[in-house]
Amino acid sequence: MDKYEKLEKVGEGTYGKVYKAKEKATGQVVALKKTRLEMDEEGVPPTALREVSLLQMLSQSLYVVRLLCVEHVDNKNGKPLLYLVFEYLDTDLKKFIDSHRKGPNPRPLPPQLIQSFLYQLCKGVAHCHSHGVLHRDLKPQNLLLDKDKGILKIADLGLGRAFTVPLKSYTHEIVTLWYRAPEVLLGSTHYSTAVDMWSVGCIFAEMVRRQALFPGDSEFQQLLHIFRLLGTPTEKHWPGVSSLRDWHVYPQWEPQNLAPAVPSLGPDGVDLLSKMLKYDPAERISAKAARPSLLRQLG
Amino acid sequence: MEFDLENPLPPSMDKFPSLFHIENEHMPSKTYLQALNSADSNLSIRREIVSSIFHLTRGIDPFSSYLATNYMDRFLSTHSIPDGKPWILKVVAISCISLALKMRKTEFSVSDLLDAGGFIVDFLTIERMEMLILGALKWRMRSVNPFSFANYFVTFFKSKDDSSIQALKNRAFAIILKAQNDVKLLEFKPSVISASALLIAAHELFPVQLPSFRDAICCCSYVNKANLVQCYDLMQDVAMERYESVLGIASSSCTPTNVLDPHCFSSSISSSQTNQSSETAGNAAGIGGLKRPKLEDFATDNSFQLSQNHQ
Repeated sequence: MDKYEKLEKVGEGTYGKVYKAKEKATGQVVALKKTRLEMDEEGVPPTALREVSLLQMLSQSLYVVRLLCVEHVDNKNGKPLLYLVFEYLDTDLKKFIDSHRKGPNPRPLPPQLIQSFLYQLCKGVAHCHSHGVLHRDLKPQNLLLDKDKGILKIADLGLGRAFTVPLKSYTHEIVTLWYRAPEVLLGSTHYSTAVDMWSVGCIFAEMVRRQALFPGDSEFQQLLHIFRLLGTPTEKHWPGVSSLRDWHVYPQWEPQNLAPAVPSLGPDGVDLLSKMLKYDPAERISAKAARPSLLRQLG
Repeated sequence: MEFDLENPLPPSMDKFPSLFHIENEHMPSKTYLQALNSADSNLSIRREIVSSIFHLTRGIDPFSSYLATNYMDRFLSTHSIPDGKPWILKVVAISCISLALKMRKTEFSVSDLLDAGGFIVDFLTIERMEMLILGALKWRMRSVNPFSFANYFVTFFKSKDDSSIQALKNRAFAIILKAQNDVKLLEFKPSVISASALLIAAHELFPVQLPSFRDAICCCSYVNKANLVQCYDLMQDVAMERYESVLGIASSSCTPTNVLDPHCFSSSISSSQTNQSSETAGNAAGIGGLKRPKLEDFATDNSFQLSQNHQ
């Protein structure tokens, strides 16, 4: 790791600290992510090998943060540790939205920028999904931006998330509450690509509103936030919902009109948002299907 | 997610354009191929490592040795083996196998490999070599390979019958496995190898369907027809010469010191699996006639012009 000079800690990734660092030889600024993938007696651990090589393949997309290389270093105990070296982008969508909400010059995000970011996000998500990978933790903090170029890239594709069709069961507790899909909150054990699309919908709305659409602080509160806006789901709209593991009896709310929640969004935009926020995962729009409507003006 | 050579990515037809797009990144370099063809010493180094790989993966599925050999070719594309250190060849072979088996999620242990190789070297050396190979390959371990394209090309095969498609693929896979030994074929893209092998298999097994299959593949915009013709011709020799499948070698009692030794190929006919496949092949040759199909024949067909513009 002597090749790199650590500049500052920029965050906590799924696998530990992330540093902004400079490659001494070239001056290139990179993001260094330490992984918990320790070498064992059998050399490179098979999981690390399979997951990192998948990440490598995914990062071929323009819309996914590029994995530049993998470095290994011996830690204090002489055990080699793997570091993932990513391209560095200077900001993320959370900071960007914050800077438009507070600070010296609060203002809405330009509609064309929202549309462009959403388009790039859908491209990236479609790329991951077509490679059989769910992100499962999409949130504004995980979407890195190159402000000057107007580029958005998906980051923090966690390891160990590859899935094969048909879908397997996964362990719980993975999506940050605010962006978590209702089927996950209700204890469904079968996740599909739709969980990411719910998050995309929440992020879309947040860009328009400059604040989170469903800011729950517990799983229960999170569900109530969703139900209050979209109505308490019924078997009619979401077959099988009442047999989900964590389904309880909830207050009965009628679905509200989405438009007032996203006041500056035109009818096409509201329509697209409503397709991303469909209760039934099977009915939720896919990343690929969402893209054509994004090429139209959302207003 | 374990690595399946036939499906480097989970099922989805969306993935094929991206596979065609990145296949070049999973091939040995041109300079490496020139070096192989210009000096016998380079060729014999490759031969020796391939032989070790085959020897050590006997009884394991042939895809793993195929993958290990692909890693080896790509590794040697960026690293040359220093003279006078023959043990390094074994370390390269074992490390490539170890990486391939880990990718394939095969249960194994490095110490078993070392034992099988009758080889004393510490784990640390293998680990270092693994890291060196991973660095050289830029961790692109999900090799896009000829098997990856089979499910794409068979969609052009006019048969709804699953067992025919399986037979076609099986024969093509046997040809692909053999073709890896022939350094002349290393220069061709995995998709071209795949298409050629399937066409040869179709010629042998389903001569009636061959013309439409051939025309459809040649019209595919991802395939450069001139390369396909060239590869097809070379590969026919491979398919004709040694009818025994590499599967047969892996399970045969013959323990070759060098699998490229023709004697070992001929002695592996004893396995029943091989007998079966050579029978099928023999019948098919009867149906198809003795005339070897030439892909040049396609050249007169107008339908190929589309594909030529693409490269």
